[in-house]
Amino acid sequence: MAVRTDAVYPVSWKDGRVASWLVTVDHKRIGIMYIVTSLFFFVLGGILAVLMRAQLATPNETLLTKNSYNEVLTMHGTTMIFLVVIPILAGFGNYLVPLMIGARDVAFPRLNALSYWLFLLGGVVLWGSWFATGGTAKAGWWSYPTLSELQFSPGHGQDYWILSIHILTLASLVGAINFIVTIVNMRTRGMTFMRMPLFVWSMLAYGAMLIVALPALAAALTMLLLDRKAGTHFFIPSKGGSVVLYQNLFWFFGHPEVYIMVLPVFGMVSEILPVFSRKPIFGYKAVAFSTVAIAFLSMLVWAHHMFTTGLGTGLDSFFMISSMVIAVPTGIKIFNWIATAWRGNLIFDTPMLFTLGFIALFTMGGLSGIFLAAFPVDWQLNDSYYVVAHFHYVLFGGSAFGFFGGLYYWWPKMFGRMLDERLGKWFFWLLFVGFNLTFLPQHMLGLLGMPRRVYTYHHGGLWEIYNMISTIGSGVMVVAVGVFIASVWIAHGLRKGIRAGNDPWLADTLEWYTTSPPPEHNFDTVPYVTSARPLRDLRRRLAEQA
Amino acid sequence: MPSRVRRKLFLLALVGVVALLATAGVAAAANGGFTPVTPHSPNAARTNDAYYVILAFTGAIFLIVETLLVVFILKYRSRGRGRTVDAVQMHGNTRLELIWTVIPVIILAVIGIVVFYEIPGIANAPASANPIRITVEGHQFYWQFDYPNGARSINDLYAPVNQVVDLTVKSADVIHSWWIPALGGKIQAIPGRTNHIWFKANEQGTYIGQCAELCGLYHALMTAKVIVGTSAQYHTFVTSTAPAVLGKAEFQGACATCHGMQGQGGYGPTLSSDPLLTQPAGLESVIRTGRGLMPAVADTWTPAQVKALVQYVKADVYKGAATSGG
Repeated sequence: MAVRTDAVYPVSWKDGRVASWLVTVDHKRIGIMYIVTSLFFFVLGGILAVLMRAQLATPNETLLTKNSYNEVLTMHGTTMIFLVVIPILAGFGNYLVPLMIGARDVAFPRLNALSYWLFLLGGVVLWGSWFATGGTAKAGWWSYPTLSELQFSPGHGQDYWILSIHILTLASLVGAINFIVTIVNMRTRGMTFMRMPLFVWSMLAYGAMLIVALPALAAALTMLLLDRKAGTHFFIPSKGGSVVLYQNLFWFFGHPEVYIMVLPVFGMVSEILPVFSRKPIFGYKAVAFSTVAIAFLSMLVWAHHMFTTGLGTGLDSFFMISSMVIAVPTGIKIFNWIATAWRGNLIFDTPMLFTLGFIALFTMGGLSGIFLAAFPVDWQLNDSYYVVAHFHYVLFGGSAFGFFGGLYYWWPKMFGRMLDERLGKWFFWLLFVGFNLTFLPQHMLGLLGMPRRVYTYHHGGLWEIYNMISTIGSGVMVVAVGVFIASVWIAHGLRKGIRAGNDPWLADTLEWYTTSPPPEHNFDTVPYVTSARPLRDLRRRLAEQA
Repeated sequence: MPSRVRRKLFLLALVGVVALLATAGVAAAANGGFTPVTPHSPNAARTNDAYYVILAFTGAIFLIVETLLVVFILKYRSRGRGRTVDAVQMHGNTRLELIWTVIPVIILAVIGIVVFYEIPGIANAPASANPIRITVEGHQFYWQFDYPNGARSINDLYAPVNQVVDLTVKSADVIHSWWIPALGGKIQAIPGRTNHIWFKANEQGTYIGQCAELCGLYHALMTAKVIVGTSAQYHTFVTSTAPAVLGKAEFQGACATCHGMQGQGGYGPTLSSDPLLTQPAGLESVIRTGRGLMPAVADTWTPAQVKALVQYVKADVYKGAATSGG
């Protein structure tokens, strides 16, 4: 009898434990890689934040030198925006969009893999610039010329910064095109636009905004690079250039950017809140259309970052009005969310806590934005710690609380196991208290006259007290993140978490129809979709048959 | 049991809110950073008026939204009903949604009208006055002030009380931002552009502020003082004091940031033993064009200004060349 020498099912090197991740074009694996990489950069960016808070804890502190403080603030901002919030949302989008619309993958799986690897490369280039001649970029995350020009920023850090953002821009553009094509073309039978999950609506807006906004950034950075390397003078006024041109181009990207970082989180909240209220979203159409309205209006508000540039009352007035108009669809969302909780059956699992925390904190960030939209008031508050407080309420209290809620909500789908609820609650409360301790006093600091991006200050009294409270708060957040890391370790290493099953939360959308984690092809069959809540329909049909 | 828990929770929330309001009240009475600093110029005062109007509306919205959120969280919590129990399946209410669309529109319109009402008093200096025009030039890392009579001062801006001072704000190198909180808002000092801001100080005293736009290494130390005195004091300053102390002011404003108040060195090298201080031509070329990490601090200085610095450092900073090798 002959002995078979080769295996019945030959195992390729591509199926290896590590290699299979390196060569994958599966949207779920790419999504997970995006999320894990972003969380890694979140920890790195967080370490920089804690360094800054330690430096500012007391007046005339000498922990960081002024040189490294400017490096740290630039790297913190760039990391958190380009390597944490945007890519983690791309990660959720990657993982969820095909599952939510009942597709087998995104439209261009290979392009999708390219997008992830470009993102990783961009991150490596940016963080590699710590070893560049002259250290990293030091001109802040918006790198205004002429400070970012060669004369005032010698060394290679600024060049690496430009290179890194160019790579990340390419990654985001590729991803954005993929999302739009996937959503428009690959929805399952019966899933009309008005039956699409609200998260998918928000990813559609995310993609559209990236495609409109990113070229402006790429153009501005290309001109800056030419100024530095090829002897042009687009932004050098002494040779006929204009620094205000850079400000316009940068913020034409920079403000849609803010909504790029928060709209997908709005989408997550609109998914999680109804499930844990045991109700449908209040006003599906209003929430969906306000997403589109915000995406459109976000292109018309950029110069509210430039009120102190001296544009003149006429232009300032236009941008004040447009910035106030965008508050209306944002307000609609907040009221609709609160109405979703109204008369609900509210279940306070960790995803719900983060979602409710998001609403509470984002409301604060939105309202402090009204002060900044009124340009005479902005003349006082612009570039002060008030602005730092405002955008952290939007981007940390908003985006980060939202995506941590999303992480707890979709974790069982991604990995098949539940994260520990008790540790999850600890994580939420520590983060919530730490966050408010850190950023609430910064409003006061700004009103007292403390500008942002200063490496030290000499005032005692209230400046010292508020700065100290803020630093203590950042320490509490460090503990919170430690609890989160511990809970991941416990669920997947120490003692295994509970098996999740297909649908642990009794949710409404299609991703919960398949197994946890889903097979590579996502679904064996997809039910015909007859409403925005296909899984609830299915549960009801099964109950009727029983 | 649940009702007792609920009562406890309400009591706790009530105590919390009262404590918060009490703290906020005390801090607000002391202006503990809950409002912009006490204004000392009409534009700053009007900015504060606009701030209070916005605070009233946003404060009310904040309280309504957060209270609703907390009340719903308490009132509609599951109480062991379990996940399988559906709540009321309502999909929306057009009338309610219209209400919370229209009301914010009205509130924002009111805020907008208030701002437009306040703008002329903030953006434009009073027309009837005969303003004193002073040029402010931002430098890495000091402020330079030019008075109508040609006098110059560094970091300390002198001004008479109760007179409109019109500032022309420029920059010689990178973007800076002029900000004296008690005397109004900011305006960027932009290379290649001229901006304007004004104040009319209502009280004698010293008002402090600092650069608000990241301008490089010593951004945090780029402070400015506006010293407001009587009209007579102002005239004495611009006619005699300013020229007399110019060299010292230049050294302290432009050089001492890096080289130390006595030229003892710091981020930059030690000057007190550097023979360059006794060589006018060599010194002028270094400060006008910069060297290595040192910015061209004196790129827009007049010959008289350079001379003042040369005289000052030779007489008061230079302590003789180091005797031991170092």
